[in-house]
Amino acid sequence: MGLSRASSKLVSLSFLFIGLLALSVAPLFLPRFFIYLTALVLLTGLLATSLNLALGFGGMYQFNHSVFYGLGAYGLSLMLIKTSLPPLLGYIVGPVISAIMALIMGIICVRLSKLYFGMLQLSLGSLVWVVIYRWYSFTGGDDGLHGVPIPQLFSSVTGSYYFTLVVTFFCMVILYFIVHSPFGRILQAIRDNPERSASVGIRVRLQQLIALVIAGFFAGVAGGLFVTVEGSAFPDLLSWTLSLELIIMCLLGGWFTFFGPMLGAAIIVCLRALVGGYTEFWTLALAIILMLLIYFLPEGALGFFERIWHGKASASGEVK
Amino acid sequence: MDWLSTLTAGGLVQQFIVGLSRSTILFIVSSGLSLVLGVLRIPNVAHGSLYMLGAFLCFSIASLFDNSSMGFWIGLALAPFCVAFVSLVAERTLFSRLYDREHLMLLLFTFALMLLCRDAVKIIWGSEYRSLAPPVALQGSFSVFGMLLPKYNLFLLGLGPFVAVGLWFLTQKTKIGKIARAAAVDRDMVGAVGINVSWVFAFVFVIGCFLAGLGGALVAPTQNINQGMDHTLIMEAFLIVIIGGLGNVWGALLGALIFGLTDSMGILVWPQFSIVFPYAVVVIVLIFRPTGLLKSTW
Amino acid sequence: MLKVNDIQKSFDRFVAVKRANLEVSQGEIVAVIGPNGAGKSTLFKIISGHLKPDKGTISFRGKDITSMAPHQICRHGLSLSYQIVNIFNRQTVFENVQISVLSRIGKAFDFFTPSRNVAVPETDEILASVGLLGVRDRICGSLSHGEQKVLEIAIALGSKPELLILDEPTAGMSPEETFATISLLEKLNKEGLTILFCEHDIELVFSFANRIMVMQQGISIIQGPPAEVRENREVREAYIGGSD
Repeated sequence: MGLSRASSKLVSLSFLFIGLLALSVAPLFLPRFFIYLTALVLLTGLLATSLNLALGFGGMYQFNHSVFYGLGAYGLSLMLIKTSLPPLLGYIVGPVISAIMALIMGIICVRLSKLYFGMLQLSLGSLVWVVIYRWYSFTGGDDGLHGVPIPQLFSSVTGSYYFTLVVTFFCMVILYFIVHSPFGRILQAIRDNPERSASVGIRVRLQQLIALVIAGFFAGVAGGLFVTVEGSAFPDLLSWTLSLELIIMCLLGGWFTFFGPMLGAAIIVCLRALVGGYTEFWTLALAIILMLLIYFLPEGALGFFERIWHGKASASGEVK
Repeated sequence: MDWLSTLTAGGLVQQFIVGLSRSTILFIVSSGLSLVLGVLRIPNVAHGSLYMLGAFLCFSIASLFDNSSMGFWIGLALAPFCVAFVSLVAERTLFSRLYDREHLMLLLFTFALMLLCRDAVKIIWGSEYRSLAPPVALQGSFSVFGMLLPKYNLFLLGLGPFVAVGLWFLTQKTKIGKIARAAAVDRDMVGAVGINVSWVFAFVFVIGCFLAGLGGALVAPTQNINQGMDHTLIMEAFLIVIIGGLGNVWGALLGALIFGLTDSMGILVWPQFSIVFPYAVVVIVLIFRPTGLLKSTW
Repeated sequence: MLKVNDIQKSFDRFVAVKRANLEVSQGEIVAVIGPNGAGKSTLFKIISGHLKPDKGTISFRGKDITSMAPHQICRHGLSLSYQIVNIFNRQTVFENVQISVLSRIGKAFDFFTPSRNVAVPETDEILASVGLLGVRDRICGSLSHGEQKVLEIAIALGSKPELLILDEPTAGMSPEETFATISLLEKLNKEGLTILFCEHDIELVFSFANRIMVMQQGISIIQGPPAEVRENREVREAYIGGSD
């Protein structure tokens, strides 16, 4: 057991290393469009991973995660446009705004469970969306904010790519530690059995609330990265359809795996960019993939392969 | 408070009528959503797509008859049935195998259907905006005490109570309605007494979707018919169902009234932010009554 | 140690517990018996904080715990093991017990230590004491029913309780498993753990408990040592009346 664990760890570490190496030299070979696309994959992957902390590991129906993403993006953009504060501060301010909103929404939502939680969050999130959508004088309304003055260092395609790579890497490391920490273990215990968790002395609501705040914070970071890559922020970043797409990414990659959402994000972002380049009906492809997934692979791609590799007995593929 | 000075009794009543007729549409659509959610436990995101489909079908059928008044009436009569038929096929082939899955999966599945519908509409009708004139008899407005009341809105207002009473009759007085209500509470029990629950569910699903199609057909003459119309409506319908209490048809009525009226009254107060009011009211309601105003069926 | 005073609880119009009184002192093994539907499980859920009583008070070591939430009650040293197996299905045996240990030693908000390095000796010690060390790394959904019941107890032990409440600890077990479980509980009791349990197997109760409380239709009718309870006429009637 000990040996196989150590060797499998070595394998995953070397995979990780090769992947990172490939990612860091990629801009030397890839055309601009693919560098941009890779940056988009990375930040969307971070976003989906942050969602999965609440959804897959926390078992909470986070139906409106994109709100925190959008708030992070708007927080950064507004600070860069409207103030002359040091630009790097914006990369903290955005996520903090997201985290505060996650706290407020969390306090209201954690009283409820499952579908009610999701519905309540959906309605709170849509209020945030509609305010941003309509507040022309401040947020630019439905046009959004364009031409955000990104700091020179990361404004080029390569610059923004490296910035995204570094930030995503660090955030993923932090999230990895959180998921595998005692906090993460107890969070998963709550997902599996909230009643029992309370009876062994766990403060269920508080634990969930903190998970939501962490998830919101990292969604905000991803939002800041999006602005860096794209140079703009718009209300669609907060829309519930994007939130559902994020859930699909988690499902596609696998709820119960750490890297699954990143994989799911890569598949969907590339699908949209590549299929979307040829036909305007790329959502058709997404819809068909999603249906097949729900019918045949409710544990997601990575979860499925992991089960085959490890022969791990699992009670059920769905979030209970 | 400059908005007070421009406010007149006439304007108020006019907005009230507009709000009420908007509420009627919202009620028709969201009562269908509520029915499906309450009995089948499916958070049907594709409900808005069926509404959009209803509008497009009504448009197409009317244009078969050169957009005559007769064409509109035929469209209004046929479109909901076409939508109902589509939903019956979808239910029998796709949903009936998924009932024992949990809500999140069902929600995502209907989301896939919504994407599918959107592209189907794009393929069939293209991306342009369409519009449909109301029948001649319902064009123009009545002038009452100097207020202009659009005839079509009054028509909608008159129709609302019929739908509400019809739904009440269906769920409370008919045998299948009673079975459906029982199945909502305990589906195994209903199955155990020898009733084919699967067909009861299909029936309820089709009724719910019929209402979505009806709402779409009714709304067709009042606005642009376009591809984005499913998107905002489904959100509003969900919010209405949530504040009303999941699965409660009367809750849907109450929610639709609250939503439609705050929206139209908000225009008088703060036009730029009018759309924010209903969302804010929903949030306030939910902070105090997180499970909705009326008793939900779950 | 534990004092339950005139507890009443009804669901809608159905009165589950009408008037329950119970006292448990340090180091005892106390059994609650009674026919099906007498309100034993409800009473246990009220004591552990999962249900709120309509009337009455509960105090534990002099502290009023009546209106506390389950996690607070657990932190005061009172732990419940469930009748229907109620474990963390997706996790391994080790993780199941570790969760409870983590929560006790205040590691719930430790974000950065890898959890497989935290509280390992404590958890393994508990697993060893209940005899589950051999299946340490199995996903607990794959254990046998008997093993899951023992795991139930191990999870409860993870929070180092002073009073362990067991709702039918041997239900559905084979005779050998029952015997092993009872010896385990006796051993734990010798080490200083106070035990409150309810059980269907009357013979087992009379041989194992120091004191017995009898419940019937939501009322605690008598409390005393086994011999005294066995002689009681009311109890005999209750049991004869209740069993057919």
